[in-house]
Amino acid sequence: MFTLVAQFQLRGGKVLAVTLTGDTVKAKNGSMVAYDGRMAFKKLSGGGDGLRGMVTRRLTGEQMTVMEVKGEGTCYFADRASDLSLVRLDGETLHVESSNLLCAEGTLRTGTTFTGLRGASQGNGLFTTTVEGSGRAALMSDGQAVILRVTPGTPLQVDPGAYVAHTGGLRQELRGGVGFRTLLGEGSGEAFQIRFEGDGLVYVQPSERNTLGGDV
Amino acid sequence: MPFREISAKMVQAEVTPGQRVFSQRGAMIAYKGEVSFTPNTRSGQGGVLSMIGRRVANEAAPLMTVEGSGQVWFGHGGHHVQVVELAGDTLYVEADRLLAFDGTLEQDTVFLGAQGGVRGVVRGQVTGQGLFTTSLRGTGGVAVMAHGGVLPLPVTPGRPVHVDPQAYVAHHGDVRNKLSTALGWRDMVGRGSGEAFQLELSGEGTVYVQASEEKL
Repeated sequence: MFTLVAQFQLRGGKVLAVTLTGDTVKAKNGSMVAYDGRMAFKKLSGGGDGLRGMVTRRLTGEQMTVMEVKGEGTCYFADRASDLSLVRLDGETLHVESSNLLCAEGTLRTGTTFTGLRGASQGNGLFTTTVEGSGRAALMSDGQAVILRVTPGTPLQVDPGAYVAHTGGLRQELRGGVGFRTLLGEGSGEAFQIRFEGDGLVYVQPSERNTLGGDV
Repeated sequence: MPFREISAKMVQAEVTPGQRVFSQRGAMIAYKGEVSFTPNTRSGQGGVLSMIGRRVANEAAPLMTVEGSGQVWFGHGGHHVQVVELAGDTLYVEADRLLAFDGTLEQDTVFLGAQGGVRGVVRGQVTGQGLFTTSLRGTGGVAVMAHGGVLPLPVTPGRPVHVDPQAYVAHHGDVRNKLSTALGWRDMVGRGSGEAFQLELSGEGTVYVQASEEKL
């Protein structure tokens, strides 16, 4: 028995071409721009599979509306001219902001995790999406994403608005730098950072979302 | 061939005496040499009928005539620009997406209802093209604008291409298009995949798709 593998390919950095041979991929709702062959689109709900996922979804409001695409042929995905990066997972977990996930192979499991205050500072709510398993996924970013490596002993600080995703064994904590200047309205605009420690990769975009911390 | 892409968002046009270029009004960025820009107050081509058509349809993207001798650079709104070369065939494109085109091309306004009756009209409404679209026929270059770059997809007999109406930019060749719906009960209860309407293009030619679902 052979396994069906979807082929992921980038076209010009902003369009993802996925070749399907009867297998499925999950993609952001409404992100299909064109296809040839036969395709069927079905809406799934984010937050994970099964009853537990459904409950989490209700509670968290992590509204990643996902559709399942199944068929034979080539399907093209793009969203608001965002720049795309391909990620290959070999059994590890990818943490990604739901607004930054475009497409993932059907064999990958998606779920929701609690991020606490850090999530709120990113302007994306208190929960984030996790993708686990083996296969490929496509990330979206405003401007081409840069991959930064974190090794033990060299922690990395990231602006919450520029954070896109991370993989590997990383611990994260939110750092605040609110001083008396900030209170006087003379802040540097960098009041909060996420600090990553451990061993892994962090994807950062050359642009900043509107965040709570961005104003102070 | 007067058009040359000098970056993803700008084209250069060679203007020689006796050879005109039409462009969207205000799209000139710079020029060298003796070049004059005259607004086309009357729709220069296509006769009275198409002029009325344009008025009614609001398909009156204001054009200007560029004449003289020198080089002109065109760009508009930071949109990506793609040059399409026509060799005797017809390009169908929405007027707002036209940046500039060769003066030798025959411009016309096409009533969408003429290509498929009521369905054509419905298709125009769904795609946001309105009731009329612009056609260009002849030999020469056309500079077309899109949000986030253009991906040309070949359409071959027996292998139709389905396109999201919002991502459709233009098409040329012997291509028939029709609006296909994949409306199911899920769409009725607001659980649709966001891909309920698709343009089905069949025949032989090329369809241009943009990496975004935004109109210009």
